[in-house]
Amino acid sequence: MIQTRELTKQYGRFTAVDGVNLNIAAGEIYGFLGPNGAGKTSTIMMLLGVVKPTRGEISLFGERYSPGRLDLRRRIGVVPEKHPLGMWTWMTAAEYLQTFADLFGLKNAGPRIDHLLERVGLAEVRNKRFSEFSRGMLQKLSIVRALLHDPDILFLDEPISGLDPFGVKQIRDLILEENRDGRTIFISSHILSEMEKICHRVAIIFGGRLMAEDAMKSLLSTLAKDREIHVDLESIPEGLTERIKGLPFVLEATQTENKLLVKVPKSGDYRKELSKHLIDQNLVPLSIQEKSLSLEEAFVTITQENIDLFARIGGKA
Amino acid sequence: MNERMNATSVLARRRIYETFISPGFYIAMSLGLVLAYLLVSGFVRAVDSSGLAFGLNPLYDLIGRSLEGAFGRTLVEKLFAEGPFVFALYIGFLPMLLYLAVSSVFRFGLEKKIGALELLAYGPADGTAGFLAAFLKDLLLTVIYLAVLLVFFAVTAALNNLLLGPTFFFTLVILLFVAAAVYSYGVFASTLTDNSASAVALFLGLMVFFLIILMGSFTIVSGYVRNLSTVFAWVVKWISPLFYWNLAMQAVEIQGWLLYAVSLVVLLVLGAVVLAASHFILKARGVRP
Repeated sequence: MIQTRELTKQYGRFTAVDGVNLNIAAGEIYGFLGPNGAGKTSTIMMLLGVVKPTRGEISLFGERYSPGRLDLRRRIGVVPEKHPLGMWTWMTAAEYLQTFADLFGLKNAGPRIDHLLERVGLAEVRNKRFSEFSRGMLQKLSIVRALLHDPDILFLDEPISGLDPFGVKQIRDLILEENRDGRTIFISSHILSEMEKICHRVAIIFGGRLMAEDAMKSLLSTLAKDREIHVDLESIPEGLTERIKGLPFVLEATQTENKLLVKVPKSGDYRKELSKHLIDQNLVPLSIQEKSLSLEEAFVTITQENIDLFARIGGKA
Repeated sequence: MNERMNATSVLARRRIYETFISPGFYIAMSLGLVLAYLLVSGFVRAVDSSGLAFGLNPLYDLIGRSLEGAFGRTLVEKLFAEGPFVFALYIGFLPMLLYLAVSSVFRFGLEKKIGALELLAYGPADGTAGFLAAFLKDLLLTVIYLAVLLVFFAVTAALNNLLLGPTFFFTLVILLFVAAAVYSYGVFASTLTDNSASAVALFLGLMVFFLIILMGSFTIVSGYVRNLSTVFAWVVKWISPLFYWNLAMQAVEIQGWLLYAVSLVVLLVLGAVVLAASHFILKARGVRP
């Protein structure tokens, strides 16, 4: 659905995006991650046709895309991070949405506006000036605006930043619902725990280059150096940790209160052996589970590795 | 193309509505009409049996001396040959011209800065649709205001037992074309700059520069202006809306209708060229500051 080939953006002598190749399939939720200044915004702006690439190609829906392709732009819905209130403070939510419906040439958009407002819980305030809206309400209104013309792809930039937990859940549910209806979702966010919950695939950009692009599970499994098994016990007898450390497959073992943390090589599943060893010692494991690498840890691993690499070769991260 | 036209039309309609619900338009209109009224009523008091005598009315005394100093006696005589209406039309029109042009330039810069233009660009609109909408809005409101001025002067003339001469009507048309070219320079200044303040400064700077060049072509206020205008006049006058305004006014005076029509057409072409240049500048620079 979205493909880029050697996408590059230079501002003078500074290369913000350097030969990025993305491949986003129809129907997936794609997370685009990167620290500040990594080239994330420049990449997104090029994908949205707002910034012209210095080199490289973008294809949308199988067609070559350039900023002049307004026909392709109408198949995209965008929820920007900031909502530019300043210009339309006199409009009500309904008037604002009607303006965008008119821009998209939608006939008889009233019922669709009502339906979408209902869906995000803003129906009650449809005739209220949206300059009085809270951050969460504005975010929902922005999503409604982006969905008005029934786009094939929805771009969301930091959709949940600044929202309370209830607002986060509402937006997350909305995104998942839209995706279930077949819409492709492209999200850029710093809130990695949320990205981990909703994204099918993620890409990590750093220093203008694409460092990783993979399915969430496979990315986390590739980056994990070893596995960590957490065992809950009623009590931990003296010397148990040392005995566990002596097992051939154990790399490291530590304890916190009644919990045993055991690191094992990522090549195998050692839960059964560990459980057997504990039972042999007349101990009853209350729970035994493997803790996988979080997206946040993976992100830190990738970016830290590159910061170290830059430091070694004398560059700047 | 259809999408841009639709976006332009939608945005222009919203902006016209916005203008009508904001006080600026009515303030500019009131100011223009009050000034025009003062000039017409002052004229009546500055006329005696020998004709117009500027000294009879303090306002006209000031106007007469200022205009003579800047543009020479010949122009002043031509300006009041048909009574007060041509001059009052200029003065009555100026506040609205400035309000529409400056507010559009300011707004475009602000839209760019806060990301409103970018938001429009995500949809089936682009920067060009944004500035075309502002241009169309200004042009339409100018037509409306000129119609208001026409009615106002017709009533004022009737009340003061005066007549609107042919030069007044020709000037009315010229003002519309000059305004179109001026608005296109407003768009041009907006696309070249990154924020409202610099856009307004560039636009006003350009207009003052064109005015100085024009003044240089009349009898001159100072040697500096004369020298300046000599150097730049040949280059700048071709891109100055004020040059074609002067040409059209001269055509009315000598009843050279072909020259009059050509001046109007050139003003249109000038506006179109400046808008096209703005389109390419915006395309190259993007809608982000």
